Amino acid sequence: MTSTHKLQREGEIWAIGGGKGGTGKTFLTSCLGSFLAKKGRKVVLVDMDIGGANLHSFFGIDRPQRSLTSFFEMGSSLSDILVRTELDNMTLITGDIHSIASDTIKFSQKLKLFRQILKLNAQNVLIDLGAGSHLNTLDTFLIADRMIVVLVPEVIAIENMYHFIKNSLFRKVKLVLKEYGFKEVVQLVWDHRQDYGIHNLKELIDYLKDSFSFIGTILDAELSRFRVSLILNMVRTNQDILLGAAIKSVLQKYLGIGIDYAGHVEYNDAVWRSVRERKPFMLNYTATGCASNIAALADNILKGSEAELPGGVA
Amino acid sequence: MNRSALAPYYAALELKAGASLREVQNAYLRLRRLYSDQSIVLEPLDEEFTAEKRKAVLADIEEAYQKLLDAIHAEPPKAAALFPEAAAGGAGPDEAEPMAFAGLALRKIRERLNIGLDEISKELKLRIELLRNIEDERYEALPEETYLKGHLRNYAQYLGLKAERVIDDYLGRYRAWKKK
Repeated sequence: MTSTHKLQREGEIWAIGGGKGGTGKTFLTSCLGSFLAKKGRKVVLVDMDIGGANLHSFFGIDRPQRSLTSFFEMGSSLSDILVRTELDNMTLITGDIHSIASDTIKFSQKLKLFRQILKLNAQNVLIDLGAGSHLNTLDTFLIADRMIVVLVPEVIAIENMYHFIKNSLFRKVKLVLKEYGFKEVVQLVWDHRQDYGIHNLKELIDYLKDSFSFIGTILDAELSRFRVSLILNMVRTNQDILLGAAIKSVLQKYLGIGIDYAGHVEYNDAVWRSVRERKPFMLNYTATGCASNIAALADNILKGSEAELPGGVA
Repeated sequence: MNRSALAPYYAALELKAGASLREVQNAYLRLRRLYSDQSIVLEPLDEEFTAEKRKAVLADIEEAYQKLLDAIHAEPPKAAALFPEAAAGGAGPDEAEPMAFAGLALRKIRERLNIGLDEISKELKLRIELLRNIEDERYEALPEETYLKGHLRNYAQYLGLKAERVIDDYLGRYRAWKKK
């Protein structure tokens, strides 16, 4: 979606994804939003978890009157369907759209949605992506200024996250080259990868760079901006915290992309309680370790800095 | 070797240029363990990030570590330029001298690394007095040369130094004292 990047944008877009369901993406979107709003920033949250939208319930909102359904089916503009929250400077675009499956969103609708997201009057637009690596999810992830993935310290979450990032990167390479008139090249080379001795995405990118020097220049420039921020949720031990650094290393060495380990969030039953009570966590559980973890990592994402690791060797 | 020539080695250890020696050592140990062992971080990429590629990464890490250590040991004054925050602490006139690994030098390196004698004592299972005697060059209180050599080796390795050079320097002075 490089072309939409050129549109004038108002605020900074953060997209929160990561592949696996149940890792706390929606919870963290609600928390990051509250944190930024409490800092005095103007925030809009967008629930793009199509089919499983529930971001509104993290703010105690029952059945929103307006949702993305109105945008897709009635042609409302995004600014017409903003829902208020208990924080004055934070509004919500809910995704309560039973009638819409992600597959049925037309390409033109998607572009229209992206254009309007970019024009939202806010300092930060936070987009909660659903689980999985659907094309619409990937494209939404790629319009963001801060591409954030959430995972928990377990093998399936790590595996899904790799899958999600690989798919995003593959999609990005395709979109970039499509823009320069090489729409088919990427898929073509990939489909015949065995002939070229290519085993994985990194080798595909290296092959494209080496074969066509101008493509190399383009990809170097575009992919140097492909940075992903990592949040490790439901952490129980110091060893878990260090997993974030290990994952960062592996992704950098394996895919050659930039990774920032934004930080971790410790496991805490207060989270579960706040979800059950339908009370915004960052407004009601400020004294928990969780809340300070979230504040610290949100600050890191804002500043583009990274988490300090606990001392010692992993 | 100048600073910019070292940049790729810092990058291989995922450090910013000019990271402290302690950071270099920690990063090296952390990465070596990460790419040597199987873990939930590498397991999902097993088919793509093959044993062969992991080996290549390990070789890069090893080379980077050796190159960074060499840069420190080759010319101590240059090393001070490489590790500015460490040198800023106690840059006296004596530090401009070419360094032999005498007791005082060892202590300074240890202090730069921010490693306490208690830590070494615990890790290497050596009495703290022994370590103090080594650093203070209280030769009369040191054990027989054979034992001393072993202790020096462990101590030097713990500080990430080249053990043979430390032993040569230190025992050279020790023997000179003995002859007197």
